[in-house]
Amino acid sequence: MTVADTRFFAQDNVYLPHIAVIEKIVEETPGVRTYHFNFKDEKLRKEFAFQSGQFGQYSVLGTGEATFCISSSPTRRDHLEFAAQKVGKVTNALNRLGVGAEIGFRGPYGNSFPLDFLKGKNLVFVGGGIGLAPLRSLIWNVIDNRDKYKKIDIIYGARTPSDLCFKYDLEAWDKDRTVNMVTTVDREAEGWTGKVGVVPKILEEVAPSAKETAAIVCGPPIMIRFTFPVLEKLGFTPEQMLTTLEKRMKCGIGKCGRCNIGNLYVCRDGPVFSYAQIKDFVSSEY
Amino acid sequence: MADKKVSKKDIAGLLKEWSQQFAVFAPSKESGVAAMAKWDGQDTSFLDWYRNTVVPPKASFLPQMEEMFRFQKGKEGYNIEPPPKDENKRLIFGIRPCDARAMSILDMTFKQALEDPYYLSKRNNAVLVGLGCTNPCESCFCTSMGTSPTESADVDLMLIDIGDDFLIEEVTDRGKGLIAGTKGLKETAKDDEAKAEQSKKKAYDRVTRKLDTEGIKDKLLASFDDEEYWEKVAAKCISCGICTLLCPTCYCFDINDEMVKQEGTRFRSWDSCGFPNYTKMPMENPRQEKWRRVRQKVCHKYEFYPMTFDVIACTGCGRCIRLCPVNWDITQVIESVPNKTEAKK
Repeated sequence: MTVADTRFFAQDNVYLPHIAVIEKIVEETPGVRTYHFNFKDEKLRKEFAFQSGQFGQYSVLGTGEATFCISSSPTRRDHLEFAAQKVGKVTNALNRLGVGAEIGFRGPYGNSFPLDFLKGKNLVFVGGGIGLAPLRSLIWNVIDNRDKYKKIDIIYGARTPSDLCFKYDLEAWDKDRTVNMVTTVDREAEGWTGKVGVVPKILEEVAPSAKETAAIVCGPPIMIRFTFPVLEKLGFTPEQMLTTLEKRMKCGIGKCGRCNIGNLYVCRDGPVFSYAQIKDFVSSEY
Repeated sequence: MADKKVSKKDIAGLLKEWSQQFAVFAPSKESGVAAMAKWDGQDTSFLDWYRNTVVPPKASFLPQMEEMFRFQKGKEGYNIEPPPKDENKRLIFGIRPCDARAMSILDMTFKQALEDPYYLSKRNNAVLVGLGCTNPCESCFCTSMGTSPTESADVDLMLIDIGDDFLIEEVTDRGKGLIAGTKGLKETAKDDEAKAEQSKKKAYDRVTRKLDTEGIKDKLLASFDDEEYWEKVAAKCISCGICTLLCPTCYCFDINDEMVKQEGTRFRSWDSCGFPNYTKMPMENPRQEKWRRVRQKVCHKYEFYPMTFDVIACTGCGRCIRLCPVNWDITQVIESVPNKTEAKK
């Protein structure tokens, strides 16, 4: 799980973005969009490879770069996807773009979900809000190789029903009989028939067995912080708990300095970490 | 060892000769702040005033602001114009051993994993010619940080003051090659080596500030969550960032775009973990409080860098002590880290 393993571009200058074209935009929630894109260069379109969990640096040229994971699965490769919430300079500029617009992409960077470690295990996915984006790359990856994994639980929540992202995925997983899909919202809402309560609380209710299981957690920092103790209570060891972290980044390749948690750079050593790797620092740095 | 020397009054001639092959950088006060600047072809007055530059020599390799590429938006979409390759061969004349060691420390970051082409294209071609200190500052503590006023480990050539001449130590093959092709040098005399040893010892003894870094990595790890300690350490810091921007081992940078009409530039510029915006994300900031940022600065140098590269990212150059507007002192901070390593076990 090192950067070198995932090195793909044989170009001289890693800072030069590749031009890609937005092919489709999905409005997930008010403020969150999924962008489907493909590289302009035909060779790159064919040869580009990545793994679930990796991220890219996306440019709106003239405005700047921002970091998003690749939210589509490498098993479904006719295009690539990322999801962005309209919150900052670059994401607002993205929000003004339409289908056909050009963006820049550098990557893929970072490590990925450790498939060899996950194979043959039960998987518990715990997601909150837009934190489902990196998980869905892995979830589709796993579903497309269903026989290699055992039981799958997905516990996903958002503040309100309208904040639930990737509703089309949630429906598909709900219909999939090989998946236990649990969707929750923080508070009661009119017309909502699913669970009510924050994700860590629902996780405690669902109480998946820790035996031969790995938990993969991604969501807002506060959800991540409250989820680890619940998993510990359920008998998960720090090695069995995986997460993928988000930090402000500029370079994406371990040089610009800002994305560290303790001695680990999220871009260079992550973004996928086991709780064992980050527990010394996570309480006060995340 | 050394068998060549150069007379102090012949330095201008030497630099002129080297200027034919290299872009020679030497200490200068031309910009108002002492820095390594492109040598003007004659001035060697720095030999009189130079103790160390205010701006560290890293600026010759990681400039304060650097263009990364340009781009244009046309009918066919965006065009990215790669930057011209910087094939200037740089010779940095007069770099101090602390700053040369800092370059070796910076190399680790820029060489690891995916290489940084901007830094390395300049660095790989560069020759570092060190100039041993004779008059270290009160704030210097290099002898506690694995180097010394006359250490030659991180340079290609090392010049040691032996009175009217500089003795030239040829350290690397690149340095040896340069000396072999250089005219105007003198053969050393019998007692020059002894003079050099004396000069080194004298300089060494003049570094009076000491810092004990034994076990510091583990001590900092054990005290990471000691908010009270970090609050105390950070109390007088005004978050100006000068201790990081002018630190020879600090490398953090920001990347930004500028666009006028259809043409734009992406550039990078020095940034500092002392600034609250450095880690700010739209929804949250893990280091909003000042003490968290001060902790990051200290721990990055004395805990995280050692964990990653097995070396403390501080060379005792003393700039952060000399230049701090509120007299914050890294040596006092490191010496006052509570020893909780036993308790944590």
